[in-house]
Amino acid sequence: MSKLKHFFKSFTLRDLLTGLRITGKHLWRRKVTIQFPEEQTPQSPRFRGLHALRRYPNGEERCIGCKLCEAVCPAAAITIDAGPRQSDGTRRTTRYEIDMFKCIYCGFCEESCPVDSIVETRVMDYHFEKRGDHILTKAQLLAIGDKYEEQIAEDRRQDAKYR
Amino acid sequence: MTVESVVFYLFATLTLVGAIGVITMRNAVQAVLCLVLTFFSAAVLWMLLEAEFLAVTLVLVYVGAVMVLFLFVVMMLDVDYASLKAGYTKYLPLGIITALALFGGIYWVIRSEVFGVEQMPEPAKHGADYSNVTELGRLLYTDYFFAFEVAGVILLVAIVAAISLTFRGRRDRRGQSVPMQHQASKEERLRVVSMESGPRQDGQEKTEKKKRIRRKKGGGS
Amino acid sequence: MLDMIIDFFVIGAKIGLILLPLILAVAYTTYAERKIIGYMQMRLGPNRVGPKGWLQPIADVIKLLMKEVVVPSGSNKALFLLAPILFIAPSFAAWAVIPFDVELALANSDVGLLYILAMTSIAVYGVIIAGWASNSKYALLGSLRSASQIISYEIAMGFALVGVLMASGSMNLGEIVKAQDGGLLHWFWIPLLPLLVIYWVSGVAETNRAPFDLPEGESEIVAGFHVEYAGISFALFFLAEYANMILISVLTTLFFFGGWLNPFQGIPFVEEVTGWIPGIAWLLLKAGFFLFLMIWLRATFPRYRYDQIMRLGWKVFIPVTVVWLMILTFMIKAGVGPWFTGRGVL
Repeated sequence: MSKLKHFFKSFTLRDLLTGLRITGKHLWRRKVTIQFPEEQTPQSPRFRGLHALRRYPNGEERCIGCKLCEAVCPAAAITIDAGPRQSDGTRRTTRYEIDMFKCIYCGFCEESCPVDSIVETRVMDYHFEKRGDHILTKAQLLAIGDKYEEQIAEDRRQDAKYR
Repeated sequence: MTVESVVFYLFATLTLVGAIGVITMRNAVQAVLCLVLTFFSAAVLWMLLEAEFLAVTLVLVYVGAVMVLFLFVVMMLDVDYASLKAGYTKYLPLGIITALALFGGIYWVIRSEVFGVEQMPEPAKHGADYSNVTELGRLLYTDYFFAFEVAGVILLVAIVAAISLTFRGRRDRRGQSVPMQHQASKEERLRVVSMESGPRQDGQEKTEKKKRIRRKKGGGS
Repeated sequence: MLDMIIDFFVIGAKIGLILLPLILAVAYTTYAERKIIGYMQMRLGPNRVGPKGWLQPIADVIKLLMKEVVVPSGSNKALFLLAPILFIAPSFAAWAVIPFDVELALANSDVGLLYILAMTSIAVYGVIIAGWASNSKYALLGSLRSASQIISYEIAMGFALVGVLMASGSMNLGEIVKAQDGGLLHWFWIPLLPLLVIYWVSGVAETNRAPFDLPEGESEIVAGFHVEYAGISFALFFLAEYANMILISVLTTLFFFGGWLNPFQGIPFVEEVTGWIPGIAWLLLKAGFFLFLMIWLRATFPRYRYDQIMRLGWKVFIPVTVVWLMILTFMIKAGVGPWFTGRGVL
């Protein structure tokens, strides 16, 4: 009997009409699109975007070439060559490159760094124009760090009590 | 020269080109498409003869249905053209003789003295309100009623025969049973259990109820 | 000779008068679709090109025209390039017999309805050839799906149209509309309601639209039969699909919703107030509703599984139409009003 009832009920297309009603209602709902360049979503201080290498306030680069970030990187995006610097003999990197195509923005490098050198900034809208541009060199990373140092330092300060 | 004659010569040429294409194309799929072209342009010629119904039916049945299945068969076939061409020269003389004999026979039957323009009276011109469809329907359902119905029954028998020939009986498939899926209902699959909320497992008391997140209505972002 | 040239010019101008607005309508149907589906998903849809995104379709057209047509290696070049033309020609040709108003049709043919069926059935060649000539597995699978789907649903569609034929007693589209004269309740959608639903759903299936878009099935066979097409050749497929959508909407209006007829006919006051509105406006308004419904369906339903599509076509639609044809026969024989009064003789 219930089968028969179900059979005739199926001809009323009730299920389909219910579905149509839902989408029909949503047609009039408030739209949640964010008009990106003009509007932006709020970002967390822990946002993981473009990488940067930081310096101490006196201008000395923080990185000591420990290669922890290279070791921990799950995507093997970081390549480091290290050795003593000619002027004072301290251990520094001679090469520090991040392949941005490999990077998965997991933030492990940032966590592993003992001197807070490699960090991820809040920059998330960037692009490359030529082949090869996706490999960021040490100089480029330091430049990014210099440019956003204020923001980076502020984010680290806010997050300090949770670390 | 009227528009009709331009259309006639255009589609008569297309019919011939298509027909020649059917027997000269090396690729079987292209040959079938040429056949489609032939049917289609023949249908246009019929339409010029005021046989609208027949013309459209030709397109609908032959072009739209029969040739599609034909095309499928040809597309899926893996024809070995080399072996097809193997006996070509051997049978060529016999082929030419057959072709000539057939052509002669056909010519003898429908040569211009028999089927020429002089022998055939010009078909009566009909007014704008003449409906080919009505006339055909009237004929089919009066004079030729019996033949029409018998043809229908024969086609039905053919359909039943084709199905019974290809139906191989029940196989124990593991496919889904669509009727079962359709009859599944919320009642027999989902059970809503109301649980009494006791004290929390870790001993802490609940401090506050979770606020229901409600979307604020209206206003931009 | 001069007569002939003038004749050709007049016919060409008439064709242009139908096709140019049609192509424009297609362009803005794509815009409407993106906008409406966007709204139903609580997005905004295209809104960057021009005010509110009004120029988006124009930008799309320019982009498609300027792209390179890539002919895949190992494909049959002639057929590959012919396929989009074979697909679009019938969908344009079908418009020849559409009556837009009482005497406003390019061809007032007595076999108009059959002609439409013939044209829609020819379109399947474009799909099959596109799939076969592309020399690609996905394209071939897509074209096989499309062809079997179109053939299956054409039967249900044909049966639904038999009901329309019986109800109106003519295959002339203009006569079919005239048979529905007399206001909203005189239209065929009431006595032919199941046939209307079946015709509509079959129409959606025939145009390969969601939820019947298995031939394209981007999640399983990439883009189906037109996976290898780019630029203008892809644009032709796209154009034909949307022209078919509009065609099916207009046809549904003609067959079941009184075409150009005023819905307020017979209501004393409203009829006079709305009397000035031309028939073509009513036709386009009604067709626009069905076009919206088609987009609405796409925004709502998930894609059918293949065996479900075949089951729906063969095991549900065809039996239901046959049953309803019997009921319709009795209704006509009994002269059920207001649709069949005076036709009880049969």
